[in-house]
Amino acid sequence: MERNRVTSAIAGGIAGTAVLTLLLILLEVQTREQIRAFDVIARFVGTPGQTAVGFVLFVLAGVFAWPLLFVALRDYIPRGPDPAAQGTIFAVVLWIAFAIAGRGDLSGAILILYTAYTFFAHLAYGFTLGVVYGHFREGSQVPREYYAGQ
Amino acid sequence: MVSIDSVPGVVLGVALLAVLAGVGVVRRRRAMADGGYPTTDERETETETEKPFGLVRWFTTVDHKDIGILYIVYGLVAALWGGTDAMMLRTELITPGKTIWGTETYNGLFTTHGVTMIFLFALPVFFGIANYFLPILIGADDMSFPRINAIAFWLLPPALVLVRGGLITEIIAKVISPLGLTALTAPLLALKPIDISWTMYTPLSTAVANPQVDLALLGLHLSGIATTMGAINFIVTIFAERSEDVTWATLDIFSWTMLTTSAIALFAFPVLGSALIMLFLDRNFGTAFFALDGGGPMLWQHLFWFWGHPEVYILVLPAFGLVSLILPKFSGRKLFGFKFVVYSTLAIGVLSFGVWAHHMFTTGMDPRVRASFMAVSIAIAIPSAVKVFNWMTTMWSGRIRLTAPMILLVGGIGTFIIGGVTGVFLASIPIDLLLHDTYYVVGHFHFIIMGVIAAAMVAASYYWFPILTRRMYDQRVARVQAVLLIVGVVVTFTPLLILGYLGMPRRYAYYPAEFTLLQQIATAGAYVIGVSVFLWITNMIQSMRTGPLVMNADVWNLKETGQFTREWQWFEERLEERRSFERSESGTAPPGDDD
Ligand code: HEM
Ligand SMILES: [Cu+2]
Repeated sequence: MERNRVTSAIAGGIAGTAVLTLLLILLEVQTREQIRAFDVIARFVGTPGQTAVGFVLFVLAGVFAWPLLFVALRDYIPRGPDPAAQGTIFAVVLWIAFAIAGRGDLSGAILILYTAYTFFAHLAYGFTLGVVYGHFREGSQVPREYYAGQ
Repeated sequence: MVSIDSVPGVVLGVALLAVLAGVGVVRRRRAMADGGYPTTDERETETETEKPFGLVRWFTTVDHKDIGILYIVYGLVAALWGGTDAMMLRTELITPGKTIWGTETYNGLFTTHGVTMIFLFALPVFFGIANYFLPILIGADDMSFPRINAIAFWLLPPALVLVRGGLITEIIAKVISPLGLTALTAPLLALKPIDISWTMYTPLSTAVANPQVDLALLGLHLSGIATTMGAINFIVTIFAERSEDVTWATLDIFSWTMLTTSAIALFAFPVLGSALIMLFLDRNFGTAFFALDGGGPMLWQHLFWFWGHPEVYILVLPAFGLVSLILPKFSGRKLFGFKFVVYSTLAIGVLSFGVWAHHMFTTGMDPRVRASFMAVSIAIAIPSAVKVFNWMTTMWSGRIRLTAPMILLVGGIGTFIIGGVTGVFLASIPIDLLLHDTYYVVGHFHFIIMGVIAAAMVAASYYWFPILTRRMYDQRVARVQAVLLIVGVVVTFTPLLILGYLGMPRRYAYYPAEFTLLQQIATAGAYVIGVSVFLWITNMIQSMRTGPLVMNADVWNLKETGQFTREWQWFEERLEERRSFERSESGTAPPGDDD
């Protein structure tokens, strides 16, 4: 069933944002609220102090803005034609912005965990975005390769 | 303020439902005419399409291969969670004082880490590997009791939820709190992660009020029931389901170790189950099993370790089995002294029940009893050493191929030697009196658990990946990952041995400043392990989707040394089935079709 690029991208965005949010909640709870992931989000989207507004913007960006940007830029993103691999590359760029803009006054050892886990969470976002997008799109096939032996 | 933490919960719930609905509605399309290929391989041969579609398949399956995969995925989730605990533990230890969390959270972390790794990660993964491969190795159609097999697995997810409660309930409370149901959220928030260590010693474990402890006890009990059911299934399968040409003399080494492991589990887990229930009754119904005027705290320790020591052999024997099975394949030689490896496995199985009190040398029990436990504990090192020498002689003048699984096995044997020798030291009473409850103990068992047990699991995942997925992974990344894992283990746990020698006790969030450097080296090593796990996961996931397709079943060139064993022959048949299917479907023959 062929969907057009925009709806496929948004479907990918919904799935990816769900995964990313889940991972951030897990991170939040697991680290006993030392990272305050939702304040991080608010700082990231530029509404420090207004966590609810920040979160809504975060969801909008995750569902609409990034996926559409991803589709627009796909030809320039390395590791194609597999959209999932491209999605992870794309997400690394997002993560850099997220990690820097959202860092706030986190410092010391917690930064190590913060950096590592948000990296992983963003890869999961990009990967999910790509997989779901590719799932709906015909144009996203990966060439079939054969293993040549050792 | 309306709790912001609640907003993501609602959004997340809606989003997840939307995704589920989306995936359910959309059916996958068939093969592409232009020879392109979808990102996942969705076309199915006739035998494959007999199974129901999508999620239903995984919830209803009684096929041993599917259940094996479920077990492995479950164990992986547990490992990642327990690994997160470990990374947080090590991060807390970067500085001598409070780095991030301090004592209370640290206590919770090492408890959930230990419980998760021992109960929910290690054995489920081995049961998963065995579920998939053991029936194939012995020429059986399936396990003896396929439905019990499924039930045994499905007891585990609730066990995970119960044991790891605390945090899960906190998430749920956050998700539903916008609905304003304080009556519901308050009890959920009352559950705190358990912090009584994985040994759950009384009187602490009877005294703490946290209701989460009771849930965890029930969860552990559940996982024990699951293990016992699984163990019975393996035993009966090996006795009753072997094909005619598989006799006791030709039974492969992995099945032998699974048989022994299952037998140990069958005797050990009911004791643990009873002890857990007794503790539960003591906590909630006023019984006095472990009260001072009842059996006392020593009764708990005896019951716990009567399970606890055999448990370590339950975990290590399947790993030994995998080493013995895979090592010869990359040495180009048969396993040296097969018979003696089997005998030493059986000997460990028996002896493992005679050493439990070496965990209690410092409790003030009768010195004569203590001495006898020391003797047996040192004796049990012999069969383990027999295996190590057999592995070394297997490699001796063999044609070694340093593939990723082989690197892990050789490295794992090396770390196992360190773990084993430090164990012999601990078995000797005078040394144990000094080193008990220090970091030395933690170093000792992690050299085994992370060294040979985890390494053997990863090695098996690389070795059998083509059978599991019909694809090949990136072998260069895999080799890097293998080296990183072994290096990480050595860098992490050697400092712990030294810290123990210097007298640093375990289970402390704070430590004197002179230990800082050693602690920091250990933490750096732990991060290296973290990186290697990350490489492994990305390699597995990406290769499962887009790795090059395997057309020739002899991936490891085993035919030339006569080691093309049953599971690979089975794989060859399935490939053949698939190839003729594809030929009939597309009319074009894939490469490698001519052989
Ligand atoms: C990356 C790998 C791992 C690291 C860095 C790690 C680190 C640690 C640390 C720091 C502790 C606490 C020591 C203390 O303060 O007493 C600990 C305890 C423990 N670990 Fe691990 N660990 C790892 C993997 C594993 C695995 C795979 C298992 C089991 C299969 C395991 C089983 C345990 C147990 C049973 C304890 C004792 C818990 C307790 O004291 O109650 N660990 N580990
Ligand atoms: Cu022991």
